[in-house]
Amino acid sequence: MTAVQATGLALRYGRTTALEDVTFTLRTGVTGLLGPNGAGKTTLLRIVATALPADGGTLRVFGHDPSTPPGRLAVRRLLGYLPQDPGFHPSFTAFEFVDYVAILKELTHRATRHTEVARVLSAVGLDDRRRSRIRTLSGGMKQRLALAAALVGDPDLVILDEPTVGLDPEQRLRFRELIADLGERKTVLLSTHQTEDVMSLCQEVVVLDRGRVRFEGTPTELAGLAAGRVWTSAAREAGALASWRTGTGLHRHVGDPPSGAALVEPSIEDGYLTLVGAAAEASAIAGGAR
Amino acid sequence: MTWHLLDEDLRAYATRTLAAPGLWSTEAHLAACGECRERLAAAATIDFKSAIDGGWARLDVALDAPRPGPVERLMITVGVPDHTARLLAATPALRLSWLVAIAVTAALTATVAVFTDPVVFLAVAPLLPLVAVAMSFAPGIDPTYEIAVVAPIRSFRLLLLRCLAVLSATTALSAVASLFIVEYGLRATGWFLPSLALTVLSVLLSPRLGAGPAAVVVGVGWAALVAATVGDLLVFTVAGQVGVGIVGGIAAVALSRQRGTYDRYHVPNLMRRAS
Repeated sequence: MTAVQATGLALRYGRTTALEDVTFTLRTGVTGLLGPNGAGKTTLLRIVATALPADGGTLRVFGHDPSTPPGRLAVRRLLGYLPQDPGFHPSFTAFEFVDYVAILKELTHRATRHTEVARVLSAVGLDDRRRSRIRTLSGGMKQRLALAAALVGDPDLVILDEPTVGLDPEQRLRFRELIADLGERKTVLLSTHQTEDVMSLCQEVVVLDRGRVRFEGTPTELAGLAAGRVWTSAAREAGALASWRTGTGLHRHVGDPPSGAALVEPSIEDGYLTLVGAAAEASAIAGGAR
Repeated sequence: MTWHLLDEDLRAYATRTLAAPGLWSTEAHLAACGECRERLAAAATIDFKSAIDGGWARLDVALDAPRPGPVERLMITVGVPDHTARLLAATPALRLSWLVAIAVTAALTATVAVFTDPVVFLAVAPLLPLVAVAMSFAPGIDPTYEIAVVAPIRSFRLLLLRCLAVLSATTALSAVASLFIVEYGLRATGWFLPSLALTVLSVLLSPRLGAGPAAVVVGVGWAALVAATVGDLLVFTVAGQVGVGIVGGIAAVALSRQRGTYDRYHVPNLMRRAS
């Protein structure tokens, strides 16, 4: 089932084009939104989350049109949103904060609400910290708490803006477990610039660069963009798009390989680099030509 | 028997939620069908067990739910619903640090008024709720601003709740502070109507200007009005107070009419910092 259908979304800030002709589809499962800093990821997530209106294009979330007040309300009732910098009332306990968000999500019946708050705190592994003041929680715990708040009410669409930033490897793995479980039943849109997150979690990936969708497909298809363009050799290659010494002592290169190069299987990172790096080069050339 | 009851009807019968006439036909069928009676017994056992388990779980959560803080408990004691009390407890301007700042400002202004002119207090006290309300909605100050914006709760309701709470708190503090100038009689309460009117005006303007700029515009307008009439203190005469009341009333009617605008997207220019 199509959860989100965005067609030709556009947004300008004064003379700056933040998004242009952004078209993509989300279905049940985890979709990664990948792109460099400043690509427009957060802006796009805010539009889908009904926090910002688009200047142009159409957006349908489970068939609802967020540009109309009833449609926006319907979308907000189906939505869980973890912003990039989730804020907290520091004097609240973990329980009180999630309870507050549950009230914002119209869960007013006390017993039902408290049961739901306990459920999501348990889901993110904060059962034993429910009475802790937020200011006493570590960064990883706060991030899990923000996720718990996003999951209140069992939303059908969950939007997570860089949820794994600042987490240590173990916390990141726990987060992946949680999000993967969620993706089995729900539609999850996950913004990140961690290609490992995309590879390990996402069924679909959308690459956004300078406000435009550069790619929409599976992670394997994204990696496939670099097929025949990744090779290893003993020395650095100056002409490659990227070239670095790996732990094995060999240099790995992405770009146009010389004849007879030892080609290797591309990773999603190679695919991403091919896509974004080529666009950056083209843009630089176009800029130079002007 | 060539037909049997549906599982959902059996469950509804077991939990006493099946209504007539389905109830009558189900009972008639159960009287005649041994197989459905056995299925009913099984369904009843499962439903009974899940009801008990659900009850224990709810009890567990109720016992485990942390006790609300003193401010929330006070609100609940005076009859505020627990969910409303929690919404109010999250109002930035109701945090102790803000309240202390407001109290200190009110006390200092009243002290200055005692030694100079009561107009100092009368002019400053209406600005306190203005600042506090702006603080309650400014994106940079409410840490959960973005989460609240995309939540389905009616923004206008949240806005009124917070305004009411902030106005109550600042009014109480200003009322205590005005005891410093009690010798000025009724005129010592001249800050009250302006504080209501200015707050409503700033809330009215906030969808167009943003919470902070609206408070600044209204505050500057108020200061200009007081400065222009400082000779005869017109604003604090009976006629002036009636005028302020009328302006506040008109603003309140306009506010009620534009309630829908508060459920729109949040003021875009305030959120266009990040990409």
